[in-house]
Amino acid sequence: MTTFLQLVVVGISTGSAYALIGIGLVLVYRTTSIINFAQGAFAVIAGLVTARLVGHVPTALAAALAVALVAVIGALMGFVALGRRGRTTPLASLIITLGLALLASAVELYVFGDVPRSYASISRHAWSLGGVLIEPQYTLIVAVTFLAAILLTALLRRTIVGHALVACADSRRASELVGLNVRALGVVSFAMAAALGALAGVLLTPVIPVTFDSDVGIAVNGFAAAAFGGLVSIRGALAGGLVLGIAENLVVGYINPQYELAIALLIMLALIGWRSRNEVVA
Amino acid sequence: MTAGALRAGGWVGLAALALYLPYTLGPSNQSLYSLMGLAVIVAVGLSLLMGFAGQVSLGQGAFYALGAYTSGILAVRHHDPLLALALAPFLTAAVAAVIGVPLLRLRGHYLAFATLALHLILLAVIFTWDTFTGGQIGLIGIPPLEVGGTQIKGHLYAATVWACAILTVLVAVNLVRSRAGRGLQLIATSEATAAAVGVNVTAYKLKLFVLSAGFAGLAGGLYTYLLQYLSPDSFPVVLSVQFVVMVAIGGIGSVYGAVVGAVAITYLQHLLQKLSLIGSLPVQAPRVASIGLYALILILVMVFMPRGLLPTLLDAARRVRPQRMKSPPLTS
Repeated sequence: MTTFLQLVVVGISTGSAYALIGIGLVLVYRTTSIINFAQGAFAVIAGLVTARLVGHVPTALAAALAVALVAVIGALMGFVALGRRGRTTPLASLIITLGLALLASAVELYVFGDVPRSYASISRHAWSLGGVLIEPQYTLIVAVTFLAAILLTALLRRTIVGHALVACADSRRASELVGLNVRALGVVSFAMAAALGALAGVLLTPVIPVTFDSDVGIAVNGFAAAAFGGLVSIRGALAGGLVLGIAENLVVGYINPQYELAIALLIMLALIGWRSRNEVVA
Repeated sequence: MTAGALRAGGWVGLAALALYLPYTLGPSNQSLYSLMGLAVIVAVGLSLLMGFAGQVSLGQGAFYALGAYTSGILAVRHHDPLLALALAPFLTAAVAAVIGVPLLRLRGHYLAFATLALHLILLAVIFTWDTFTGGQIGLIGIPPLEVGGTQIKGHLYAATVWACAILTVLVAVNLVRSRAGRGLQLIATSEATAAAVGVNVTAYKLKLFVLSAGFAGLAGGLYTYLLQYLSPDSFPVVLSVQFVVMVAIGGIGSVYGAVVGAVAITYLQHLLQKLSLIGSLPVQAPRVASIGLYALILILVMVFMPRGLLPTLLDAARRVRPQRMKSPPLTS
């Protein structure tokens, strides 16, 4: 029982990080109809940059700088991925984001090499709760994820930019008609998604070291989490991330660590199969 | 001669040239030429999928690996390389059908991520299931391909690969021009319209996905007998991306373009591998260069020439050439 609970605790925390990635995907997809393959790269860049800065500046500052840098990179990537007005289809944009993700990994490989990087978690001292070890870093991941989700929801509901983003997600054409700059909002959604992805990367790197090609696995897991809510729901992505994290950790603990991703795909396929019974294909 | 006869003549000439070429090449160029043929088979299938179903598969490398390991494992265990090769495309197509059914019913690009995940899973399975696959060490002891007592190696192997590539191109071209092809073209133009006139959009997309996976499985099955050795290192995730790059170069949905893209990118990859022989460059240089180059090709082509590099260049060339005078209308 203790082993089971231990695996669930770890699963909830890694699942939260997947949820952050998934929420970023949802945000971009709803605003722009683009599936962003570079979402995993945001986490990796942030992790690598923080690992490089730690030792020169306090970890918290390093993490904040990394998140800010990645948000800027995200805005730039969004600008490129949106392509040319009226000429670039969502399919083309998807391939562009794939190219951007590759470009990011080429730069990461050039700058940081191919050795996995990491840094110390916030505290080595773990609490024991009836035999279940709870590490502060895990608690931090969960807390930050839920805080970010709440803040994001508040931002979407209460601020002008938030209302504009929601309008854009609802109908791009209507948003254009009332004078919203849909392209600029797309770039904003990319920057926000990048910040969320970076947050996930900064939190996860002490637990799972990152290297230039970690982004593929992170992006696939984030997508599986987002698919849980049909790619359009923040709460769905949050739930998806948690389910995924717990399921994967149980597989890692009881069956075989190699099949972690297989479970992500199977859950995704099962969910999609289940959803597609109800959805009318146009 | 009519235009049709000219076209058919040109076709036969090119096909004959493709089959004759290996007999003029040295051993290392032969293997490069074979790899080009294999890439053609995969890229043609992917181009159809991207052009007509509007879906991206990032799992063509996985299907290629699946075909390779299917034929490799069967050949090692049952000593019948030809049967093993024949089964590879069917098993691959069956796997594609299973994952395609739920994914293609939905709108949106679920397929891209799911096929990418499939690639990662397949690599994990190859590593873990080492009693069958040889794991990290690789699958050794694969017998040579043999048909009726003749070993298919060297020139003959390259010619066989290209014969399969030519068959693939023929199937693809005829598919586009058939009744089903007209349905597919309508899907490419407007899914809603296609559905309205009774084209079963989901079924067509699924069939196309299965066909493209089958092509990749065939290419993988053939690849097994190139080196008679398989290793997971031969099937990195970048391989799947490489096939997308080939299609982006040749034009999305273009069959002949896919042939050009496959040949060009395989040659580029060959040149990039030579970078690793230059001692003065850092160790990472070839990998950085190949990943970076593919990235730039994808980004630049998709932003500035969304139809593909080749169609855009051909259009530009046509515009530069002076317009021929139109023959005056017949008046009695």
